[in-house]
Amino acid sequence: MLDDALAEIRAAISLEALQEIKVRYLGKKGRLTQAFKAMKGLGPEERRARGQELNRLKQTIEKALEEREAEIKAAELTARLEREREDVSLPGLALPPGGYHVSTQILDELVEIFRRMGYQALTGPEVEDEFHNFDALNIPPHHPARDMWDTFWLEDGRLLRTHTSPMQVRYMEAHTPPFQIVVPGKVYRHEATDATHEAMFHQLEGLAVGEGITLAHLKGALLTMARALYGGQARVRLQPSFFPFVEPGVEFLVWWTNPRSGEGRWLELGGAGMVHPAVFQAADEAREKAGLPRVYENVTGFAFGLGVERVAMLRYGIPDIRYFYSNRLAFLRQFPRP
Amino acid sequence: MNVPYSWLREFLPELPEPEALRDVLDSLGLAVEEVRRLPAPPRGVVFGRVLKAEPVPETDLKMLEVDLGREVVTLASGAQGARAGIGLAVARPGVVLPDGTEIKEREIRGVTSEGMALSPAEMGVGEYAGGLLELPADALEPGRELAEVWPAEVVFELELTPNRADAFSVLGVARDLAAKLGLELVEPSTEVEESPVARFVTVEVADPEGCDRYLARYAGGLTVGPSPLEAQRRLLAAGLRPINNVVDATNYTLWELGNPLHAFDLEEVAGGIVVRRAKAGEKIVTLDGEERRLTPDDLVIARKAAGGSEPVAVAGVMGAANSEVTETTREVVLEAAHFDPVRVRLTARRLGLSTDASYRFERGVDPNLPPRAAARFLHLLQRWTGCTVGDVVVDVGGEKPRREVPFRPSYANRLLGTAFDAESQLAALARLGCEIAGEGEPYTVRPPTWRVDLNIEEDLVEEVGRILGYEHVPTEPLALIPAPDNLNAEEAYRREEGLRRALRGLGGWEAIHYTWQSPAYLSLSRAPEPRRFLKNPMDQSKNALRSALYPGLLQTLAANAGERHRFFFELGRVFPDGEETHLAAVLGGPLLEATWQAAYGEGYPAVKGLLEALAARAGAKIEVRPEPHQPLHPGVSGTVFWNDEPRGFVGRLHPQVEEALELGPVHLFELVLPLPEAEREFRDLPKFPPARRDLAVVVPEDVPHVEILDLVRRFGGPYLEAAKLFDVYRGRPLAEEQKSLAYHLTFRHPERTLTDAEVDGEMSRIVAALLEAGYEIRD
Repeated sequence: MLDDALAEIRAAISLEALQEIKVRYLGKKGRLTQAFKAMKGLGPEERRARGQELNRLKQTIEKALEEREAEIKAAELTARLEREREDVSLPGLALPPGGYHVSTQILDELVEIFRRMGYQALTGPEVEDEFHNFDALNIPPHHPARDMWDTFWLEDGRLLRTHTSPMQVRYMEAHTPPFQIVVPGKVYRHEATDATHEAMFHQLEGLAVGEGITLAHLKGALLTMARALYGGQARVRLQPSFFPFVEPGVEFLVWWTNPRSGEGRWLELGGAGMVHPAVFQAADEAREKAGLPRVYENVTGFAFGLGVERVAMLRYGIPDIRYFYSNRLAFLRQFPRP
Repeated sequence: MNVPYSWLREFLPELPEPEALRDVLDSLGLAVEEVRRLPAPPRGVVFGRVLKAEPVPETDLKMLEVDLGREVVTLASGAQGARAGIGLAVARPGVVLPDGTEIKEREIRGVTSEGMALSPAEMGVGEYAGGLLELPADALEPGRELAEVWPAEVVFELELTPNRADAFSVLGVARDLAAKLGLELVEPSTEVEESPVARFVTVEVADPEGCDRYLARYAGGLTVGPSPLEAQRRLLAAGLRPINNVVDATNYTLWELGNPLHAFDLEEVAGGIVVRRAKAGEKIVTLDGEERRLTPDDLVIARKAAGGSEPVAVAGVMGAANSEVTETTREVVLEAAHFDPVRVRLTARRLGLSTDASYRFERGVDPNLPPRAAARFLHLLQRWTGCTVGDVVVDVGGEKPRREVPFRPSYANRLLGTAFDAESQLAALARLGCEIAGEGEPYTVRPPTWRVDLNIEEDLVEEVGRILGYEHVPTEPLALIPAPDNLNAEEAYRREEGLRRALRGLGGWEAIHYTWQSPAYLSLSRAPEPRRFLKNPMDQSKNALRSALYPGLLQTLAANAGERHRFFFELGRVFPDGEETHLAAVLGGPLLEATWQAAYGEGYPAVKGLLEALAARAGAKIEVRPEPHQPLHPGVSGTVFWNDEPRGFVGRLHPQVEEALELGPVHLFELVLPLPEAEREFRDLPKFPPARRDLAVVVPEDVPHVEILDLVRRFGGPYLEAAKLFDVYRGRPLAEEQKSLAYHLTFRHPERTLTDAEVDGEMSRIVAALLEAGYEIRD
């Protein structure tokens, strides 16, 4: 019986065949089971000897079955693995990447930098009235300072905002200090376009108002921004300049190393300064008209603004601003960001 | 404003070298746009005296006989000013000009031209190329190398901010440098030898608001001709054009001190001068030869004549041809005045005539400068020509007092975050010309009248920062606790960011388009009629503010015609009437492009899927109900309900637009932000198992899914948890124009397990309602 069993087991090539063999020998009606049952008629001595013999036989068969099962499983696995082989070098499913416009990316990056400093981001209208774009910002009609902003006028007498600064006044009209905000958005200049000038571009405006705010705080905020943008070695310089809505007014420069040439230089990044008293006054007057209390009499604040496309052009070495609104995928795809 | 280094140095003998100056000027807020180096005239260019000038028949040329000292040469010249009795810069054959031209002998009408008389531009010493450099006949001995008396120059081109009117002059820049660097300032001389005058003019100012100071002085015994070489060298370096000694002296003084001056031929204004408003329609021919029509808002200088007066200048802008200084002028009336900045600006704008004079008056000229500027002019003219200077000074309006501004050094430190001591702050202001009174805070500071920009305490704080240096401002962190009404100020912006992020995650490319569009294109793309228009568009055809986002996105689809994955979106402002923020997306192909696998996700289900995914990410409920929208294919057009509110449209672009723009099938949506938010409240997790049933409804082809869904929901009872479409079937055994919509329905009771009988009861109500509505149930 043993030789029969072992021969059958060796010949089995599937788990099903093996199971049949197992039943045939070890099942309820199996040959070995029958042999155990046949021991009933034997005397005690004989029965013990026969029992020991049969148990050895059973163990041998069971072991053979197990071994064969393992062999078959291994073979099946090997076969399956072979069967399931794929060419992993084939292209994957074309899951679309998608991406932000590079101007949005830089804006988002700047907004995040200032959020970490406690600023909140909000937007304002792109069609503005003359009051918020100019008068309330201490730029009276017929003042030569108006020449600093070539303006698109609407037929209804309003205009496309020339900077994000009108939101300074709009925000103060409706909110109480202290606060820190940034205002990202599109601005418009009636200028002939060339490699570095566009009639439409993006700015980020910042405004912090409260008691005891100084130019040193502005410098601190700008330095934090510069380091986040350009690394821990970045430096910031303030240089006197003129924007009617700040006094003192400065231009801020950042020491920037061109990642391509390795050359460093001072880069004019934007305008800034301490909020002009006339701007606080304009906000308070508008508040009074709206039945709100005056809250800008004993505070100071700083404001800053910078152009977004310029940051992008410098970072990526984009030679011409006119690429920005071409919206060609060949352009958009070049600035992936997680 | 171009400032030649040598001119600055005349007032600042200790001025550092030009290389060191750029940073100092920048640190003063006098931004250096460019530093230009002007070379000396090329080697071989010599001074020549014109002995004779004969016209060459049938040409515009003249043949000049020019004394070059050792020889007399013959030159051909086409220049108008070439005439006997003046000096010229002459290049002999072999001389190479800065632009690389080599001078050669030429043959003209049988006469050899033995060189060339040069313009300032040809010499490389200035921009003026319209005529020759004309010098006095005795400027140099003939044959002298010009380079020996005409050194190279460094010119700082400053981009001045409009507040710094005082710095629109060489002296103004020198004053700032002196204050910053602590240098001695040597004021320009105004010494003149005066003599009595036989006749002069009267001045009447009829409009003192337009002209608060008018000063007139006399120079006589004049010979009008070229200015001395040194003066012309300066003017050319500054970018000005030398004209004649009288005009040059006014320009020289303007550039040097900042006060625009005007010289009238005394003969022409002898009847007297009146400063008055122009009459409506009054005409004047300005010095540029243009006839200009004036209005009563314009201020004019007029000469009195029998029965009235006639304009001889547009005040502060430009003089008239009728009284200009000519070669025959022997006596002049010099005007040094102060005009109202706004009036000058408005007139200059109206006339489209921005001059060096109007530019300065608009920004603010020192009202106390006229006496000094007039004296400087007379000093120069007397030095250059030996003319007589009248001892008469007509000064209408007189000296103006200084303003008083309170100043607290402690406030300067509070605003700047600095620790400057009071003494150095006050010293800085004093160096700028301020007078300071008082023993303690607040001090009374009286800024000089040339600093029209110093009016409030903060202005003085800036001066302290400018002179003592912003490099002393420390960097400090700012931490503040926002007032309560600022909380959630950025909620709306965060939601916009979320929508952008979601569409990017779904594979969209963000595009940014111009806010202006052409009305014709908006109409072609079936967008709403534009309502807002630009008065001064860059491109006349694109004068409308966009009324929707998708027309721009269609252009971007077209611009990317060669690309396979074309899914673009934009979040931006549109102006259908008032300003709105929209979010739009266009899909011009499959969401997943074909590789060796088939493309996937096309047509309406793809764009609808994007919208659903967007809503799912925002936790919003979304539904689209068929409804025609102008931009869309009428059969594939729906209104988007976002949390039950209609917020936009989705569908396929109208085939007419697809064809007109040569686009394939385009699917798109456009939503109006902000999208309504749904209330969120926690619902306990389901504790009891759901009961599921399937239902297939046969409906006519034109019945939309959403109508069946409405019925199912309405009659599904309180325990109908979900109804999901899983199949749309057309074909046998259904009749033509019929379809079967199959739904998985899920019922669940929150507190117990529903019995089969209960669920059957709910189902039978639904079925009854559908049958009632005229639909069939498919088993």
